[in-house]
Amino acid sequence: MKAAILTRMALDARLVVVRGGHLLSAAALPVLLAGCVQVSAPDKPIEINLNINIKQEVVVRLQQDVRDLIKENPGVF
Amino acid sequence: MSRRLKLLVAMGLGIAATAGGAGAALAMYQGDASASLRATGQVGEQADGYLGLVGTAPSDVRAQVDAVNIKRRAFYTDLAGKRGVKIEEVAASTACEIFATRVGPGQYYRLPDGVWRKRDGNTPVPRPTYCG
Repeated sequence: MKAAILTRMALDARLVVVRGGHLLSAAALPVLLAGCVQVSAPDKPIEINLNINIKQEVVVRLQQDVRDLIKENPGVF
Repeated sequence: MSRRLKLLVAMGLGIAATAGGAGAALAMYQGDASASLRATGQVGEQADGYLGLVGTAPSDVRAQVDAVNIKRRAFYTDLAGKRGVKIEEVAASTACEIFATRVGPGQYYRLPDGVWRKRDGNTPVPRPTYCG
């Protein structure tokens, strides 16, 4: 389990270093990983909250997924 | 990848997405629901990744906005689960892309300051700093 987590961190770190092009991003990873998970089904009314707390590294990491999502669902986006 | 190249790729994807949206609209009803709603000027894109009402809108418009947002929420939830991030993070990241490629000239957008603004011609829509 610990080994798996470390492997994942190593992979993520490499991804961030490659895409971000600098080492500072890797230092922020433990913080990012600590704030992860917590998924719930969309069973309650949607509340609009514009006070968004997100790091640029997360946006970069999700960029390709998000582009694909928009492209594949033109009616929704 | 250089910044310039990234920009070109982003622009290319934007054009492809727009063309895809137009094609889908011809193919089936509501295939371009979001684009149509934005074009009415009663609906805009928010930095939280959801559509919002710019002012008071008729109930049918509100219902369409709700329908689109429910679908978006489902997509965000799904992707968040796959990538191990928060739903809000996927939603905000999607908004970064929507602001860059889907908000057309004269259409509305809303930054975290909560103010609705209209895109001025082809001027790029300003984005929150975390968008990069």
